[in-house]
Amino acid sequence: MSLDPSFMWEALLKLLEALPTTLAITAVSVGCGFLAGAAIALVRVHRVPVLHRIASVWVTVIRGTPMLVHLLVIYAGLTLIVDTLTGYFGLGWNSARIPMIGFAYLSFSITASAYCSEIIRSGMLAVDRGQREAALSLGMTTMQTLRRIIFPQALAASVPNLTNFVIGMLHGSTLAFVVSVVDINAKAEIVASTNWKFFEAYLAAAILFWAMTILLERAGGAVERRINRYRKGGVV
Amino acid sequence: MIRLTGIRKSFGKDEVLRGIDLEVGKGEVVAVIGPSGSGKTTLLRCVNFLERPDAGEIRVSDLRVDCARPSKKDIHALRRKTAMVFQQYNLFRHKTALENVMEGLVVVRKLPKEEAREKVGLGDKLDAWPSRLSGGQQQRVGIARALAMEPEVMLLDEPTSALDPELVGEVLAVIRQIAKEGITMIIVTHELGFAQEVASRVVFMDGGVIVEDGAPAELFARPREERTKQFLRRLAPEYSI
Repeated sequence: MSLDPSFMWEALLKLLEALPTTLAITAVSVGCGFLAGAAIALVRVHRVPVLHRIASVWVTVIRGTPMLVHLLVIYAGLTLIVDTLTGYFGLGWNSARIPMIGFAYLSFSITASAYCSEIIRSGMLAVDRGQREAALSLGMTTMQTLRRIIFPQALAASVPNLTNFVIGMLHGSTLAFVVSVVDINAKAEIVASTNWKFFEAYLAAAILFWAMTILLERAGGAVERRINRYRKGGVV
Repeated sequence: MIRLTGIRKSFGKDEVLRGIDLEVGKGEVVAVIGPSGSGKTTLLRCVNFLERPDAGEIRVSDLRVDCARPSKKDIHALRRKTAMVFQQYNLFRHKTALENVMEGLVVVRKLPKEEAREKVGLGDKLDAWPSRLSGGQQQRVGIARALAMEPEVMLLDEPTSALDPELVGEVLAVIRQIAKEGITMIIVTHELGFAQEVASRVVFMDGGVIVEDGAPAELFARPREERTKQFLRRLAPEYSI
């Protein structure tokens, strides 16, 4: 057995073509997951009647099932629903017109919403109740209190967990190959299928993921240092 | 100026306030004393709806709030007319001392930042994070934050209880100064000596009711009620007769 470094390099360059796909899936799922997660966390922390129960069931169910299952259920279920509906209303198109990557966007956003909500919720709980009371006693509204006092500190407290979460979603995005989306990992498979040098191709993919992960770790660390200045004391 | 009528509050089965009537005139400094669990902190928190009273009426100048049916607008208006100083300071941890004081000015009173900054005045610790300030300094920022709102009444909830003994003095000095300026204040306190010196009136609470209410010299020297006597004897033997 011998490693073919030149093919590895060649594979790496080819994998870069799939980089935007991987990044897009990660960015969309993290972005939507973050927004939905913040809403879920808010509903749960403030115990909004009815909604907080739904939210807590949502989190239990989504976290209790694998990301791959979400993808498959969305893929199979959504096509079924869309085709039934469009057929019923005679809209003249069907689920085949939904781009495959759309299923990945949707299902990974669902996955992300549950994990992210727990991260944000624990961040919100880390801000002591007294600060909320102080803000309200000054005459700030609930929204102003959330936006200016609670969320900034909740996010600061959540940065390490959020970094971890983004890395998790980046790696998880490889599952998109199941619905024929060509991400970095799927591309490695394709690249190697011509000469059977799978090991080199997979290694190249691993290097690419590792590099992205290091960048994310660095970025997370920088954000953490910047945002948490106030905790260590010192002056501006 | 401020008038509380029939304020009641229960936590579950536990009735903490059993009908409080209290009137505080403009410029008066009222010290509320009493054993722990007597409801004095709850009373103070009810005045700006950090606790929601079950019944009663709160009037601050021309504002009148029915505690059983307060509108959001009522609660907001009440909070604008009052300002709270907390036992644990409750500074915004992610904002500097200056930003803490400016927060209410800019967000609630909508003053331009520059004007708010001038209003706060300058000091050497203004750009420090709360985590770098001593308890006494933090509480002074807390007082400045409340005062900056120009409230009609200041509510102080045991402002020195969390402080190390050697830091109590600096905070009391600030409160003394504010009292001299004629700001209306209700202070829940354990500092009986301070209450006697600064307050124009002392209210003794026990078991969710106001037991006795009078001028400090009078109340401390010649308490009428047996419960007041007991409390003073236990807490401050020098006052007992």
